[in-house]
Amino acid sequence: MGTRVSRSSRTPARRAAGELEAEVLAALWAADGPLTAARAREAVGGELAYNTVQTILVRLYEKGLIGRVADGRRHEYFAVKGAEELAAEQMQALLSRGRDRQAVLQRFATSLSVEDARLLQAMLRRRP
Amino acid sequence: MTISVYVPAALSLLLAAISRIVVGRIAPTRAVVFVVAAMLCAAASTWGLVLLSATLLGDTSLVAEEASERGVQLQDPVPQLIGVTAAVLLVSGVFRVVRVLRARRATTQELRAVCSSCGTGELAVVALAAPHAFAVPGRPGRILVTRGLLSVLDGDERRVVLAHERAHLQSRHHWLRAATEVSAALNPVLIPVREAVAFLVERSADEHAAAVTGSRKLVAQALAKVALAGGADGDARAWSAALPFAGCGVSARVAALHSDPPRPEPLVPSSVLALGVATAIAAVQATIAFYQLVYWLWPT
Repeated sequence: MGTRVSRSSRTPARRAAGELEAEVLAALWAADGPLTAARAREAVGGELAYNTVQTILVRLYEKGLIGRVADGRRHEYFAVKGAEELAAEQMQALLSRGRDRQAVLQRFATSLSVEDARLLQAMLRRRP
Repeated sequence: MTISVYVPAALSLLLAAISRIVVGRIAPTRAVVFVVAAMLCAAASTWGLVLLSATLLGDTSLVAEEASERGVQLQDPVPQLIGVTAAVLLVSGVFRVVRVLRARRATTQELRAVCSSCGTGELAVVALAAPHAFAVPGRPGRILVTRGLLSVLDGDERRVVLAHERAHLQSRHHWLRAATEVSAALNPVLIPVREAVAFLVERSADEHAAAVTGSRKLVAQALAKVALAGGADGDARAWSAALPFAGCGVSARVAALHSDPPRPEPLVPSSVLALGVATAIAAVQATIAFYQLVYWLWPT
């Protein structure tokens, strides 16, 4: 089920174009302001080529998922917040539903007990 | 009525006990074994309730008249109290199933609505500070994350979250969870199995993310960061407190990622499956016993 650990555990898998688009988009959302292609490449991390990042940025821009501003000869890219308010409201509503509904919601990380939080904090300090 | 009608209930208890014991040690890819066993147990115990409730029909005037016409000596195979209890359990189980299915459908619909408000593409980002990530099943499935989650992580850690949610979508974990939720709704004895499966699918997605990113430590780190960032989430705390056992949450997943990769153990899955099959056999035996009670009702 899902965990096909076929690849060596040290070499990360090669990523498909769609996966890279999600990564670049996530990086733009996480950033405080518009990013140049070079800064976006840093934010994505890993070993991506500059040209790859540039291509993905243009593709995302053409799809209308990100916007860009000209800064001299370069472009700076930013996440387009389309129906930002609506989506946030819908999500808030979803997260505040009753117990039946929360029970079927599959979360990435559930909340922690005070003791667990302390343990995890200690762990993060050890491995910065 | 033979004892076999009660066997599925007893085996469900056993399955629940086993799932509590092995959930922390078993390879996460074995979740499907527990799903199959839970479905068999739920189906068999529900069928048992149907048979026990059906013994109440022996008291109805229709059946009684038919019996006296044919000269059949009617005797209650089980005390009436057991029949009534079975009927009550059966009806409340059906109500719970309806509730679970409604909640699932409404939640998925709302998640999809949030996604479509966030534009197209695989990744949908909501401008919320609370750190959340969800796999939204559909064709195609999508990944919904909050900006708060993205901003507490670096590029590699964000890749972990994406890989984790993709694993849920690719392996169709929502079906495994739905199957155990329905099973536990029919037979609440199976609630620990439901929780075990919920934990195992998360572990499975964690290990998949580790394989994709090449580092189990990285996955643990991303998980810990997100969990800590969401520490003040009062709503989440309220319902996670209702889980039947602690130690199956984020910290257990982080601990598992810091220890050796799980090794598949053949013994546990086969014994769990055997348990499921035994339940099904008991249900068949109970059905035969019931048929022998009422075969005179069929026209000869």
